[in-house]
Amino acid sequence: MASTEEHTTSSKIAPEAQVQRNNHSRGGAKFSPVDLSLRLLVFASSLTAVLLMVTSKQTEFISVPGIPIQVPNTAKFNYTPAFVYFVVALSVAGLHSIVSILGSLVRKQSHSNKLLFHYILMDLLMVGIVVSATGTAGGIAYTGLKGNSHAGWGKICNVYDKFCRYVGISLALSLFASVLLVVLVMLSTYTLYRRST
Amino acid sequence: METSSFSKPSNMDGTQGIESQGTGVKVANPRTVRSSDFFLRFLAFVTSLVAIIVLAVSKETKTVPVIIIPSLPAISVEVSAKWQYMQAFVFFMVINIIACVYAAISLVLSIASGAGSKGLFLMLIILDLVMAALMFSANGAAAAVGMIGLHGNSHVRWNKVCDVFGSNCRHVVASVVVSTIGASVFLLLIVLAVVSLQKRSH
Repeated sequence: MASTEEHTTSSKIAPEAQVQRNNHSRGGAKFSPVDLSLRLLVFASSLTAVLLMVTSKQTEFISVPGIPIQVPNTAKFNYTPAFVYFVVALSVAGLHSIVSILGSLVRKQSHSNKLLFHYILMDLLMVGIVVSATGTAGGIAYTGLKGNSHAGWGKICNVYDKFCRYVGISLALSLFASVLLVVLVMLSTYTLYRRST
Repeated sequence: METSSFSKPSNMDGTQGIESQGTGVKVANPRTVRSSDFFLRFLAFVTSLVAIIVLAVSKETKTVPVIIIPSLPAISVEVSAKWQYMQAFVFFMVINIIACVYAAISLVLSIASGAGSKGLFLMLIILDLVMAALMFSANGAAAAVGMIGLHGNSHVRWNKVCDVFGSNCRHVVASVVVSTIGASVFLLLIVLAVVSLQKRSH
């Protein structure tokens, strides 16, 4: 009775439908192709974001008031705690997505709903981590882009243009990853919801 | 067969639970889930409201001695710190206002409709998820700018401002902490809803 409804969720693609039907009748928790590709995209975008952030180091010669010659000055991501948190959070998210893909490939037989529930919980945790990291790094990056005259914080993106470009692209990718993670949780919840009614 | 017989009593219990103390409750779980759902939504409303108020009253004005010409004595200048001056705090404020309004509306909706409508249940989960994500990003942004204000950043010559504006900084920290509790409450609401979905799907 319950297994007939599970068929409807994952019979979109014709050649794989037969395989999936067999898996579901045994209670296997294989992901749907949409779910799997979303997880792959999360992995790719978080990996790219981490790599861009790590390689964003830039050295520029800056004239300091009081010293006649220009002094080399470096902008690195680990000078700002917010960017360090960003790198750690996105590494965790990338690791989680690759582990969840592998877990779904390895594990063939289990209780489907229970496994889906655990995936939802872990994805929810990842949403919280990645979204807060994006917000944190975004707040700092915006201040670096525009500066803040009230607090006397000067803008730095007119000096470190390459650094800012890398950070910007990295932020865009992490925003993309967080939207994907939210969609992933929505899809899994919807699957669970359809099985419950 | 099993799923339909399980889901129907849970609906009946939920609707009866509010009107008349649930006569003949077979499964106690749906009622506890619903009452804790109301409680958590109310908590989310209260925490975001407190965060808004605490940040809104954080304006502080100080007189700071400024030396323009070294030979002359310092001139005292009035400077003020407001939340509108930082873009991150404006974002934080807007998201908290949205969360506060959403929590109030969803509380009213979920009380008024009862557990009968399934579509509303799904819609509330999705909106809770979006709200939790927005709240977490706003908290992150405000906390990052607050950290710069607290400690400064010597590499880009951003000086700390919290040694001057102590009261303003305390308000910001309190507001961010309370708002983080609110965001966690939204996350808990989703977990609660997913747990009840999983229980029902057996």
